[in-house]
Parts: sequence; C-alpha cells; structure tokens
Amino acid sequence: MNVDNKFILGGQEFQSRLLVGTGKFSSVEVMLAAIKASGAQLVTVALRRFNLERPSDDLFSPLVRLGVTLVPNTSGARNAAEAVRAAMLGRELSGSRFVKVEIHPNPHHLMPDPLETYEACKQLAKAGFIVLPYMPADPVLAKRLEDVGCAAVMPLGSAIGSGHGLSTAEMIKLIIADSGIPVIVDAGIRAPSEAAAAMEMGCSAVLVNSAIAAAGDPVAMAAAFAQAVKAGAAARQAGLMAQSGHAVATSPLTSFLAGIPA
Amino acid sequence: MITELPVELDPSSWLAIANSASETDVHRAMATTSPDEADFAALVSPVADGLLEDMAQRAKHLTESHFGRTISLYAPLYLSDYCPGGCAYCGFAADRTQPRRRLERDEMIREFKALKAMGFEEVLLLTGERSPKADFPYLSDAVAEAAKHFSAVAVEAFPMTTPEYRELAAAGCVGVTLYQETYEPVQYQALHRWGPKRDYANRLDAPSRVLEAGMRYVGLGALLGISNPMFDTLALYRHARLLRRQFWQSGITISFPRVCPQEGGYQPPFLVDERFLARIIFAFRICMPDVPLVVSTRENAKFRDGIAGVGVSKMSIASRTTVGGYCEPATSPDGQFQVIDDRDVATFFTALRAKGLEPVFKNWDRVYNLGLI
Repeated sequence: MNVDNKFILGGQEFQSRLLVGTGKFSSVEVMLAAIKASGAQLVTVALRRFNLERPSDDLFSPLVRLGVTLVPNTSGARNAAEAVRAAMLGRELSGSRFVKVEIHPNPHHLMPDPLETYEACKQLAKAGFIVLPYMPADPVLAKRLEDVGCAAVMPLGSAIGSGHGLSTAEMIKLIIADSGIPVIVDAGIRAPSEAAAAMEMGCSAVLVNSAIAAAGDPVAMAAAFAQAVKAGAAARQAGLMAQSGHAVATSPLTSFLAGIPA
Repeated sequence: MITELPVELDPSSWLAIANSASETDVHRAMATTSPDEADFAALVSPVADGLLEDMAQRAKHLTESHFGRTISLYAPLYLSDYCPGGCAYCGFAADRTQPRRRLERDEMIREFKALKAMGFEEVLLLTGERSPKADFPYLSDAVAEAAKHFSAVAVEAFPMTTPEYRELAAAGCVGVTLYQETYEPVQYQALHRWGPKRDYANRLDAPSRVLEAGMRYVGLGALLGISNPMFDTLALYRHARLLRRQFWQSGITISFPRVCPQEGGYQPPFLVDERFLARIIFAFRICMPDVPLVVSTRENAKFRDGIAGVGVSKMSIASRTTVGGYCEPATSPDGQFQVIDDRDVATFFTALRAKGLEPVFKNWDRVYNLGLI
C-alpha cells in the first residue's frame, strides 16, 4: 500500500478501492444498482458491449450517466495489435484515458498472454493511456510492466469466473513486495472475505465482477464487497499482529550466552 | 466409398460406458472439477436421466460462472437455397421441387437492414452445398457486405479449403458453423445420397481447416435423430476436445439441432426426446463449462425458456428459414426446417427477463476482425 495511504492511478486519487466489472448481469438496472451499492469509482466495461446504435443493448451510455470513471477493456483481443486498436477505439468512444488491457488468446480459459500483454502495454503507455494490465500473477512480468509505464498491475487471483479465490496468493505477495505501482487483484474472487484477504495482504485495490453479478442478490453482495474491501484496507493499515507458529520454550535457549557483553 | 471414423474420434469404447454407467458414476462426474471422457459418457448415459435435476443445478451454476446471466443472440439469414446435395432429411435437397433463388446484393442489404432494425448484431449467413449459383465468390461478397452492417458475421455453408476460409475471415467472418450431421460413416453415406456432401472425410476435416485459417470459432453439431444419437453425441464431444487441443487460440461452439418426425416429411430413424436433449446439453456444460452452447428456434418456446441460462448461452429468435424471409412475409412455408419457436424478439425478451436473464445483441466488435494470424 502507498506510504501515504492513498490510492492513486494516473495522477487521480480514488477513495474506493473496489473496482467493478459490468459483464454477466441479469439486467442493466441490476448492474447500475450494484455499482451504486459497491461505491466503486472505477468501472470496467468491454468495448464489445458498446452499442451506441442501440441504447437498449448498450452498457456504455448508462455508465456515463452514473458518473463513474470508465475503464474500457480490450476483452476479445488475441494479440497486442488488436488490443492497441481496441484501446484506441475505446478512448475515442468513451473519452477515458484509462484502459484495462485484456489479451486472452484462448477463448475458453481466458488466461492472459504475457508476451502480447507486455507489448500492448508498452505501446499504450507511450500513447498516453493510463494502462491497467490484466496479467498472470508473475512477479517478474509485474516489474517489466511497471518499467514500461503501466499505472498499476492486475494479477489474477484465479481464472476468470472460476470463483477459486486467491489461488495465486504467494505470487501476489511477491508482486506486492517489489511493486512501485498499485497492485489490484483481478479475477477469481468469489467471497468478500477473499477481497478482504487481498487487501490485508497489501493489495491497493480489488476488481470484482462475476462474484457480484452471479450472486443471489447482486446489489446486497456489492455492498458486502464494499465493506470487506474497506475492512481489509483498514486492517492492513492498523497492522496485523505477527503470526506465531511456535510455542515459547520454557527454558531459554540462549542462557549459555548470559554474562557475555552484547 | 465409406471412410472410417478416425480412431481419435471413434466413440465406440465409450459407448459401452455410456450404456452401463451407474448412478455413482454420474454423481462422481458431476462432482469432479476436471471431467474426462468417462465422466462425459456417464453424464449422457440413460441412468443419468434419473438425475436430470441434479445435472441441471450443476449446469446452471457453471453457465452462470462462465457466461453470467446473459444470453447472446444471433439470427440466421438464408442467402440461397440452391443445392446440388441429396441429403435425405433436408428441405432444400436437390430433389425437392420448390423454386430456387438466391439473394442479390440489394436484396441482401434489405434483409440485413430488416435484421438490424430488430436489433441483431450477429448474423449467420447460410447457403446450400457449393453450386454455381452460390459459390465461394458469392458467399465471400455476402460476408463483406454483411460485415458493413453487423458486429459479427458467421457462415454456415459448405466445406471449403483453408485458403478460402482465410479469405472469408479477411472479408469479416468471425465464425463458421459446420455440422457433421452424423459421425457414423455408414449412416452418413446412406443419408447423403448424391452431391459433394457425400465426401464424409472432407466434411469431417473442415472444422480443422476453419481454425487453421485463423477463424475465431467453429460451430460443431450433429443432426440428432438421423443416426444413433448416443454415438453422435460421444463423437461430437471427442471432436470438440480434439479441436481444443489442436487449436488453443480458437473458440468452439456446440449446437444441438434435432430432427423431429414430420407429417409427410422425413421420418428420422431415432427418436430424440427433450429429456435426452436436455441431458446431453447438461453433460456438455458440465464437461466443457466454458464452451458456448447454442439452441435454435427448431425447439419449442417452453424448452428454450427452460434451458436458457441453465445450459445454453446463445440463441436465435424470430428466425426465418426461407430465402428473403425477413422482408417478404411468409409466402411459402418451405423453409429448410420448421421454426417451432416463432415468437418475436420482444416476446422472447420478456420471457428471458422473467427468468432473470439479459438478452445481449452485441457481444463483439469489428475492431477485433482485422488482426488475424
């Protein structure tokens, strides 16, 4: 977490550390109500769901009216060239400099391609975008992406939509340890407790979509995530007590050193 | 000449499992997170019929995780009903007496506009087998024209060569649907009485060529009822698995067309009832949770509303199966198949929304069409 405890992306400070996605909702009304309940200020939306010709099928316009900061994503791109083109179009249509780079050549498991993601981020950062790459939880790649000018890194907790939580937790900790930019866990989170755990671990923010959209009551779940993220961030700030795995020995082990000047 | 089914697709050894699985096998298949062929065979087995509700629950959970509470929509559009083929089960076969026609450019545009006005952003362009009236250049031009109107253009036509598929992709085609009809070679030969479609091996290999050419996805299916449906279902699963392994950057969709007995028409040798259909859809969902499963308007409204979001993630609606059908109100009933669910878009949307499902017209963008490998 930033030393001054602020969540800053692309020079802008955000109060909410919960980012939400807009896919998979049962209706636009439910999506909008869930976003409101989440308190999210940054909202991702797939360029392929922009339908300016037909407002009733469009996700973009209602989000604009909501007054959130839009982060168009490049979901659908298989390589860097496609992602860059999609990002350009997304910026033109949305007016937002933010872009979430999503490049998943395998349309089934949707794992991000590290090589193409790196290439796209390099180009987009140069072109003035505020680049947020969805990436495998790889500490070396995270530093590489920071070096080319990304505003944050978004390592996956587990596969998109899987709800398998923070299965990459150990890698995410390594990323956080070295990162000079915000680390935002993206994908795989199912329960608010997992979002809280990510924040306690030291993530700057969490992105949630399926866990809200596919919940029994998406609006209530969005509110629960908002609380969990706040609780996790506050806990991190408060400083968790040290874990103790060992019993303290009844006889000190260093008594043989007694009398020797320190 | 009868070509054998390649050994990697031959489901014979799984057929025995499918016919002798126990309830325990089915439960185990539902519980595993890494299903294999034996699990699939158990899930399509007759004994699974007694566990349909459990399968539906599992399938719905997986469908929601991977596709959310949405249904992607597409519309079929028949470009031409010329066909040199002799498929015994098809309303467009060469020995049917109806007058033939194809859409010329201005008629196509009229049809495209009619579909756009309904809201569709994904169109599936159909022709019969390759013929002088509906050949590759004709189809390719139609794709290029459609790509000006729709976000996503797909094709269901005749088997092509890899360079042709590459050209089609360059013209703006994102997907190709090509059903094997039946994977059973002897029955295939009997049903495809003459014409280019008699070449079983050429058709079987075509989905690989589609993906080799860099197309985004290939749509697979078997026309259930024209041969042993269990055999075809297992072979279809093996085919899909094989293609996923060979073409890791490509998508697969699976459709479940079913032939029903028709008065005076083709009488399919196997009865495929709705419980069987639901069972195999659930089995595919459980074993391939991330693959879009498609059901067309061949099925009735009750079945479609029931299966939507439970196993199926992509559907057509307000379909016309005649050439020019979207602009010319039903002058002839001779479509390729009978549309059973004949609701309009608004009525279907109301039904989906009542189930808590959001219909989605646009789920693709042209911007992704240009950078093909």
